[in-house]
Amino acid sequence: MEKRNPFFFTADDADQLARLEAADRANEYLYRVLDIGQYMLQSGAEISRVEDSIRRLCTSFGAQRTDVLTITSSIVVTIYAPQFGAVTQTRRVAGQQYDLHRLELLNQLSRRICTQYLSLEETERALEEIRNVPQYPFGVQLLTYALISASFSLFFGGSAMDAVASGLIGVLLRYLDRVIRQLEANAFLSALICSCVGGLLAASSVALGLGESVDMISIGNIMLLIPGIPLTTSLRDMFSGNTISGLLRFSEAILLALTIAFGFALVAALM
Amino acid sequence: MDFNSYVLQMASAFAGSMGFALLFQVRRGKLMLASLGGLLAWAVYLALGPVMPQDVPRFFIASVALTIYAEVLARVVKCPATLFLVTAAVPLIPGGSLYHTMRYFVEGDFAASSAQGLNTLLLALAIAVGMIVPMSLFQLVRRVRLRWARIEAEEGGK
Repeated sequence: MEKRNPFFFTADDADQLARLEAADRANEYLYRVLDIGQYMLQSGAEISRVEDSIRRLCTSFGAQRTDVLTITSSIVVTIYAPQFGAVTQTRRVAGQQYDLHRLELLNQLSRRICTQYLSLEETERALEEIRNVPQYPFGVQLLTYALISASFSLFFGGSAMDAVASGLIGVLLRYLDRVIRQLEANAFLSALICSCVGGLLAASSVALGLGESVDMISIGNIMLLIPGIPLTTSLRDMFSGNTISGLLRFSEAILLALTIAFGFALVAALM
Repeated sequence: MDFNSYVLQMASAFAGSMGFALLFQVRRGKLMLASLGGLLAWAVYLALGPVMPQDVPRFFIASVALTIYAEVLARVVKCPATLFLVTAAVPLIPGGSLYHTMRYFVEGDFAASSAQGLNTLLLALAIAVGMIVPMSLFQLVRRVRLRWARIEAEEGGK
């Protein structure tokens, strides 16, 4: 008779097969759960929300124990139940695009999965729907940039003409940012170029008589460009116990914010 | 500061928050609520002016107010509090202070630059701590309530 390692396949074959099938299903389910976690993280959810949702989702489909670790751009989940043993998956999450509407939909979906026990197909269909929800049209987005720059220029004490100049420059800068990012330049280079160009445009619009104060025009544009939301989210992450993620995001946001302010200030000081 | 500039600041805080709400794809029904949060935060900051001369505690209290607003609203309209929190906090973000920090820095005035830099950092901290305190309290209340419900259910079952 063939010799066998005594630690493997000691259970009878039917039992073993059922276990493997259960593990397969668990793996497939976990993949969808990670999809939801990934989209949440990309849409701008804080770490504790992502981990909490993943934990609830896994419990709802029968995991006895769930261990989740989320660090800025990666999620690791291990689930355990006697039916399928331990199943682990990891996910690397790249690129963030704040979309609070999508976050809201994802939150609703994960609640629905937990209370109504959606099947895999239903979950997949719902995820696909969320993926295809349209964003605001391009024209509205351009107006948004102008609105933000103009109102913050006024907010920090600029005149009406400053606000107009800041609004126009804001639209150009966001467009420039998009073009540079399509060339796959890194975020810091893009920030430095955008802020220097922004500073130059602010100085030249004052020279041309559109606007009065380079500082006020620039501040409106800085508010548009700086990662203010990651900055506050990361501090919240740190205070709620997710120190690693918080610190990583915080230093990234601080560096970016400093780079942007530096670019504007440099041009303003040289002019 | 005269009355007109108060109104102007609150109006522009409202418009700025609305801009960010649009940028982050907040949909029509919640757009107004999110933007009003920004106005509320700045109104609290301005209202504290006569009582407190320092910016840091004023930012802290404004941040507490906007977090309570966001958490309550999240329960009323049933959506993540982040949606209101993130958009309403925008007027508090110390962009102006950050700009002046760098402005002093490139002009070589390092004393002014580091003082202003510290100010920027403290303001950011005040906002974050102001958010954490009410959020933790809301979480605590929810947990206590859940435990109560469980105890009552167990006693009812006996």
